[in-house]
Amino acid sequence: MKRSVEIEINQEIVRVEVEPWTTLLELLRETLHLTGTKEGCGQGDCGACTVLVNGEPLNACLMLAVDAHRSRVTTIEGLAKDGKLHPLQKSFIERGAFQCGFCTPAMILSAKALLDQKPKAGAEEIKQSLSGVLCRCGSYPKILEAVRAVSKGTKDESR
Amino acid sequence: MSLDKKTEVVHQPVPRVDGLDKVTGQAVYTVDVDLPGMLYGAVLRSPFPHARITAVDKSKALKVSGVKAVVTGEDFPFTFGTIIRDQPFLAIDKVRYVGEPVVAVAAESEGAAFEALEKIEVRYEELPAVFDPREGLKDGAPLIHETLAQYARVNVEIVPGTNIATLYTYGHGDVRQGFAESDEIFEDDFFVHPVAHTPMEPHGAVALYRSLSGEYTIWTCTDRPYHVAREFANGLGVPLHRVRFISNYTGGGFGGKGALVAETVAVALARFTSGRPVKVVFSRPEELTASHTRHASYIRLKTGVKRDGTLWARRAEVVWDNGAYSVLGPNVARRGTITIFGPYRIPHIELVSRLVYTNKEISGAYRGFGTTQMTWACEVQMDIIAERLGIDPLEIRLKNAYVEGDDYINGQVLHGVGLKDTLEKASQEIEWAGRKPGPKGRTFRGKGIATTIKGTATPTDSSCFVKIDSDGTVTLLCSSVEVGAGQKTVLSQIAAETMGVPLSFIAMPHPDTSITPYDYAVASSRTTYHMGNAIRVAGQKARKRILDLAAETLKTDPSDLSMSEGKIFKKGAGEQMTLKALLNKRFGAKGGAILEEGYYSPEDSLLLAAWPGLRGMSSIFWMFATHAAEVEVDTETGVVRVLKIAAAHDVGKPINPIGCEQQIEGAAIMGLSNTLYEEFKMDQGRILNDTLADYKVASFCDVPEIVPIIVESEHREGPFGAKGIGEPAAAPTAPAIANAIFDAVGIRIRDLPITPEKVLAALRENGKTPSLLIPLPDGREGKGERDRT
Repeated sequence: MKRSVEIEINQEIVRVEVEPWTTLLELLRETLHLTGTKEGCGQGDCGACTVLVNGEPLNACLMLAVDAHRSRVTTIEGLAKDGKLHPLQKSFIERGAFQCGFCTPAMILSAKALLDQKPKAGAEEIKQSLSGVLCRCGSYPKILEAVRAVSKGTKDESR
Repeated sequence: MSLDKKTEVVHQPVPRVDGLDKVTGQAVYTVDVDLPGMLYGAVLRSPFPHARITAVDKSKALKVSGVKAVVTGEDFPFTFGTIIRDQPFLAIDKVRYVGEPVVAVAAESEGAAFEALEKIEVRYEELPAVFDPREGLKDGAPLIHETLAQYARVNVEIVPGTNIATLYTYGHGDVRQGFAESDEIFEDDFFVHPVAHTPMEPHGAVALYRSLSGEYTIWTCTDRPYHVAREFANGLGVPLHRVRFISNYTGGGFGGKGALVAETVAVALARFTSGRPVKVVFSRPEELTASHTRHASYIRLKTGVKRDGTLWARRAEVVWDNGAYSVLGPNVARRGTITIFGPYRIPHIELVSRLVYTNKEISGAYRGFGTTQMTWACEVQMDIIAERLGIDPLEIRLKNAYVEGDDYINGQVLHGVGLKDTLEKASQEIEWAGRKPGPKGRTFRGKGIATTIKGTATPTDSSCFVKIDSDGTVTLLCSSVEVGAGQKTVLSQIAAETMGVPLSFIAMPHPDTSITPYDYAVASSRTTYHMGNAIRVAGQKARKRILDLAAETLKTDPSDLSMSEGKIFKKGAGEQMTLKALLNKRFGAKGGAILEEGYYSPEDSLLLAAWPGLRGMSSIFWMFATHAAEVEVDTETGVVRVLKIAAAHDVGKPINPIGCEQQIEGAAIMGLSNTLYEEFKMDQGRILNDTLADYKVASFCDVPEIVPIIVESEHREGPFGAKGIGEPAAAPTAPAIANAIFDAVGIRIRDLPITPEKVLAALRENGKTPSLLIPLPDGREGKGERDRT
């Protein structure tokens, strides 16, 4: 039996009927067409589907949509504001912190979750916090540089 | 061309042009394609490595609500293959590996498709299987392709009545004499394991078939759209113009997307869905067990040297594991294998290479195309030689290393050789000459070095169109797919530089074989060089058209005009007008466009000259690289920790230094991951670790300090002096690590991967690793190639 859920997605309230077994990832990608969130394994191993739920990075493939009821979800589509990129997005472009780009949304959101908590996070904290997202292109060194550049930057930069 | 002229856009570390799409989630990949009426496809795969299909009952599956088509190999009886046409779209009569597609289902939802799969009944009669290519070579081994000799094939020597899909031999000089003249002979066996490409975007495709016109449209993640389109058209016996491949952003390929994979299933289904498109996306287990792997390789290497370290003779026997179907394997077994001679002058050489079918996942092109396997054997043995002769590993490499003007093994005169620079710079970066720190408790440190040579597929063609709209926008129409390596950025930079417009003027849509012209492939590290040259040709023509037009407008001589930053300048008189103003004036309100074409093939280049009959082995450019690694070995746990990799790469002149660093860092990490973490666990042809939790690839915390070093040799025919960079960095990482382990604790690992268990076992043997003892069968000589000097 379908259940009705209400989720704040990228600062917009979404009311939608879902099956009890529909994952948050399926809701985002298939129903809401927010395809910036990627599926790399569907098993919680690769982290490509990372989104922020109430500010915490979570694998959207492991979360049921019904469990996101009355939560605040941020996807990569919700990061740029008023036509301006988030400082992490800018830094990723400037430092070449992506190659194929498939893990990039998850990397950026994981980094945002960290910097929202710890704006001046150091290299080790960044590596640990982003280690749930796999990047087969091996962009790790440049991603570290890009996130470091923001965490070393001026006080408001990470918001 | 002269490299002295100051460049504005190339050789600059400009940000990648695909950045905005990728950091905002707007980049569309094949898995994101969503079409009206789209159905979902799923595949029932073989549970057996080798079996005859005796019956298929799909009646119950057809009754599942929402199911639109259930298709078997009997319904869609076509085969395909790049070099040997040996592979069915869906299994016909027989299955040859665990995971082979047998029956496909298209349904309104994924759920319905999976439900239907469970209701399909297939009966099999198991056949004896081959899991080791050395077993597959033996007389009386089960035949995997009984009708091998009857398959259509292109330019490959098979051995009829056996499992040998390719036999390739090469020789130069006289190895017998060479060994007789040597002071020391070294004989070692090596093994390189198969690994998964593991792109984060799994294989996927969407296929649409219009029955009235007989047209196929396929949205694909392949990196060689024209090749797979042609292969596909040949397989189905339809004209190429009825087949359209549309590319998107590709979420990583590393060679694994260079063939038809998910496309075959999507097409077989679309043929039966009355015009509704069908989407097929592989699950991660399917990606790991039923796409392609790197070729496993058994190598016996015999090398004769002079007392002073001069390499004098080498004989190599290589057995490649082809898996169930050939794809690009025959080319790996030829072009890949010749790199067993390394970047070294060796007067007497001989090679026997065999590619052997087994009942396992298909082996495909993998970043390096055989070079990673050959570099492993070559470079570990170089260290064995250096040690026994008491020569420094760096010195012995410098002593034998190719330099500009040396003859390659086919007599091609090598040009653009920055090898020695890579050796020197990589070793300096890890303070090769410095003393290594002593042991800290149970951990020991060591340093190792390894080098590699890689050519590019030659000759291959690239073509493009350049379209300039009346507002000055320059559109590059070409079939180079952005697989992640920065193809769009580099090609846009070359176009901007050639024409004299800012990078922001350039647009490059994704390839579509109904619009963008022929290109061989994004493969073999060739795109910057080949498509870059094609774009230079088109850009120069377009620039001339513009300057002629400007001369007409300004009533002056075109030779007095130039274009830079999208503005027209006159000698001695400064800026005259913008490109946009010029085109506005020319086309006015009615609009218009300037179109030019570009084509490049190195076919006629004098650089390819070789000894008689051997020009086909020449490469239009050669890439050289050295990796120097510093490791720490824990003698109690056997765990190897890589502390630092200095990776020096001769790329010619880099078009985009950031892009080169990305390739070097990324491939070094991939090499490290392959070497230390990745291994398929197999049981009777079945891959047991089919998730990313069990098949480990390097994560953020596994990455050591990597120092990419760009070495710039001069290549006179490269676009703005560029060569290539995509593949070589994966190759020297493994032997550099192994050699560093030897330096640390005195053990030689000859078979990959390097696991803690192997390290501990070797330590227990007190530095003496048990010999691998690979019983390679005697060389059956093929016709092969041989130099005639």
